This record gives sequence, C-alpha cells and structure tokens, in this order.
Amino acid sequence: MTVYETDVPGVGRKFELEVGEGARLVVLMHHDGRRELFHRPNPDADSQRIVDLDGETARQLGAILTGAYFQPIELDRTQVPLGEAILEWVEIGEGSSIVGQTLSGCDVRNQTGVSVIAIQRGDETVPNPDPDETIAADDILVVLGTREEQQALQEFVDQ
Amino acid sequence: MASGLLLEAGLAITVLAVAGTLAFRLGQSVIPAYIVIGLVVGPNAPEVAGISFSVLERHEFVDLLAELGVVLLLFFIGVEFSIDQLLANRDRLAVVGGIDLVVNAAVGVAIGLAFGFTPVEVAFLTGIVYISSSAIVTKSLIDLGWVADPEAEVVLGTLVVEDLVIAVYLAVLSALVLGGGGDAALSAVAVALGFIAVLVVVARLGTPVIQRVLSVDSDELFVLTTLGAVALVGGLALQLGVSEAVAAFFVGTAVSATDAVHRVEKLLSPARDLFAAIFFLAIGFQTDLGALSGTALTLLAVAVVLTTVSKLVSGYWSGLRYGLSERRARRAGIALVARGEFSLVLAALALEVGTGALADVIPAFAVGYVLAMSVLGTVLMKSVPRLEGYLEDRSAEATETA
Repeated sequence: MTVYETDVPGVGRKFELEVGEGARLVVLMHHDGRRELFHRPNPDADSQRIVDLDGETARQLGAILTGAYFQPIELDRTQVPLGEAILEWVEIGEGSSIVGQTLSGCDVRNQTGVSVIAIQRGDETVPNPDPDETIAADDILVVLGTREEQQALQEFVDQ
Repeated sequence: MASGLLLEAGLAITVLAVAGTLAFRLGQSVIPAYIVIGLVVGPNAPEVAGISFSVLERHEFVDLLAELGVVLLLFFIGVEFSIDQLLANRDRLAVVGGIDLVVNAAVGVAIGLAFGFTPVEVAFLTGIVYISSSAIVTKSLIDLGWVADPEAEVVLGTLVVEDLVIAVYLAVLSALVLGGGGDAALSAVAVALGFIAVLVVVARLGTPVIQRVLSVDSDELFVLTTLGAVALVGGLALQLGVSEAVAAFFVGTAVSATDAVHRVEKLLSPARDLFAAIFFLAIGFQTDLGALSGTALTLLAVAVVLTTVSKLVSGYWSGLRYGLSERRARRAGIALVARGEFSLVLAALALEVGTGALADVIPAFAVGYVLAMSVLGTVLMKSVPRLEGYLEDRSAEATETA
C-alpha cells in the first residue's frame, strides 16, 4: 500500500491512501490540529468530505482503527476480542488463595478452563509460563478464555 | 486617555463583527465585507438623501493597527513559505508560476499602457491585477473540499510562487517610490536589496539561535517575542526606506525553518485576523468612492473582464502542463480568479506615496477591483458544479446530433 504525503502551504499536510480500484482516502491535517477525511471514488471524481474532526476525536478514531482502543471497564481490566475467547489481565490480590501455589499446583486450567499465556510481574513479563511457575501476590495473569471461563477464573482467584 | 477613543475602537470592531457575520451567512469571503463596512461608516461615507452614515473617523489607532495587520499578513505568508518545498518542486512550480506571471503581468502591462499610465503607475497596476488572494483562495479550497483534489496542488503551488514574486517586487517598487527619482531611487533599491539580503542570511544561518529564542515555555512570552521581532524589523525597514511588509515576510521565513511554526499558527493567528480586519476596514475608510468615476471606472470595467479571463487562461494552461484533466485544469483557473489582500497592500502603498493617478485613480480602482474580484472569485468557485453540469449537457447534445 502506498501513502502519498504532500505539504499544503498555508493549510497543513495531506495524506492519500490507495484503497483499491483507483479509489483514495484523503486525510488533511490542518496546522491547528483539525483533521478532515475525504473519499475519492476514482481519479476523475471529486473528493467527498466524510468527516471533519478535532484533534482529540481524530486521535480516538485512529486508536479505534488500529485496534489499540480499549474500553475502560470495572476494575480497569482490559479486554481484547479473539473470536469467542477474550484476553484479560487479572490481578492477583494478596489475600488470594492461589498465592504461593504453582500453576499446575492450583490446577487453574482444569478448574476454570482458561489458559494462562503470560504473567506480568512488576516490570517483567514471563511469557508462556512453565506449569511449575509459582504465583506471587500482585502478579497479573494474562489469560485467554471465553467469558464464562473468565468469570470462573475471577471467582477462583477471589476465593 | 481620550474619552471617545475606546468608544470608537469598540464601534470599529463591532461593525467588523457584524459585517463579517453577514458575509459568513451569505457564504462570502469576509474581506469584501470589511472593506464595504469601512466605506459605509467611515469618514468618506456616501450621503444618501442628505443623511451620512459616517460614524467613525480615521484615527491614528486605526492606521497603526492596520499597519500591524499588513505586517502580520506578510509575516504569516513567510511562516508558511517553505523554501525547501519550493526547491524540491522547482521544475513544476517554475512552469505553473511562470505561466501565471507572464500571462497576467502581460495583461496588466497592456491595460496600463492602453490607459497612458507612467511606468511606475503601470508597475502598480500590474502588481494589483497579477496577484491572487492567498487568503480567499485557500479558504475557498478548504470550504469546498477541493483541497483534497489534485487541482489544489496547482493552485497552491501558483500561490507560493506569487508570494515570492510579490515579496521581491514589493521590495523594489517601494524602494523606487519611497526613494524618489534618479540616483536616489537606485541607491534606495540597493539599500532595500541589501537589507533583504541580510534578513535572508540571518533566516538561513540563524535557525539554531531563533529556535532557542522561540522555545520559551510561556505562551505569553512567545507571543510578545514574535510580535516584537516582527514589528521591530518592519519598523526598522521603514526607517531605511524598505517595505515593512517585505521585511515581515522574511522574518516569517526565518521562523518557518524552526519547530515554532505550529505555535505561531496557533497563538498569533488571532492577532493577525484582528489586525488584518482593521487593515481592510482602514482601506474602506481611505477610499472615496466618489473617485471611482471617469478613468477609474472604465479601468475597473476593463480590468475585471480582461484579468478574469487571463487568470482562467493561465490557470487552465498551468493545469494542463501539470498533467491535470481538462475539467480539473479549468477548476485551477477558476480558483485563482479572486484577488484580495496583496492588491490592497499595493493600493495602500500607492496612496501613501503617490501623486497624480497614483493618489486617486489607482487606489480607488484597486478597492473596487478587489471588491469585484473577491466576490466574483468566490461565486465562480461555488457555481462550478452547475457550470460543469451545463458543459456536460452541451457535450452530450453535441454527441447526439453528431
């Protein structure tokens, strides 16, 4: 994919993206932060203005388009959809019964159905943790599972 | 403080606001509206049935703020002027800018000679009809969404070249007329070019220093520093007999090479808009529509017709040379019809220094011309869809009968 970038004197900067069959998406970034989005169906057609956004809204739209946008929900957990399954970050409180146990020891997978695909511990991340990895307080488990499995995990951890 | 002055200032800005709002509602550029309101309520207001609407006088504060308006207009052109971009596209820009200059200046010179003007008067007239209005054209391109289409590149490229041409032209012309005749004029031109050479060198080599000076955290200090520098250099230029507008343009180019460009756009555009509005108002104040009779009126009629055609032709030709389709090339020509702020800067200069035709015919002509061309340019751009629909119908009919 090619992006054409040009200066627009007195206005700002223009980006054109090829979107197939001669059509182009034109993004005009004004110096004042405004962004206008145009669509030109074919090279001979006039560009149609789709939307005129302020900087803040434009950044939010950009985040949604890149898939980086996240919905803040209760407990500041994040979800990323993966078909039926979702990815969640689950914090292990000090009072949790699984603190001090290994992954295989507490048998989290068979008990709840989720897969622990990583553990975030402070600044470190343990990817693909071994079954004998011990869970510590304040660990954040990165887990994959359906909504029901995630719910089961939450109850399991809170015990 | 004089008790009436605040009231006068309040009135002046309020009538501008009213005129601007009306223009906005009508989908017109605000520039002609500001001039018209200046004509209507200013010291030269026409009497209708023995009643004059003249409520405002031309105080010194109006002239001062108008002067700041001119300086800031040109400063912004400089800020947005990218010498690197000009060099990167020099082949294409030389073609479109060259066509624009040759066609339109030739028509200007021809009209001036036909009216029996002196060389200096011809030079003024040529400048006034040559230069399109960056402000009106750019705004219309954005409003109508043409800015996203390829014709905008030709139009904006042409404007960039025009800005550079007018800076050099204004420098030489103002040195000529401010410096008097003969040897004095030659040395004035030399001083002007020398002063500009110094500014260009400072702008090119001084970037790190300017960058540091402009990287103050406080927005307030940033505004004061920039405005101070622009007014100071402009004022200094005037003392040396150099155009203050040109000096401001080169101060702008010095800023354009730094990171401060966006900050200037954000923080100083309100100041530019306010002072420029007062400049247009002052133009209305200074103009006596009574002078727009006889020669000036004939000149106006001839120039409006011929220079509309010349811009259409030069824009169309530039567009074709740029590789646009016929339809897009036609649009490039239509977009360039509007004349505005620069023609008025030249008119103000003519009024300041002129005698004979320069004192009455040219300024009155220029104001009438800008009023006509700014409205005509905007209206033409808006009627393009209808115009193209008509042309398509006609070509379809032609194919059927054929």
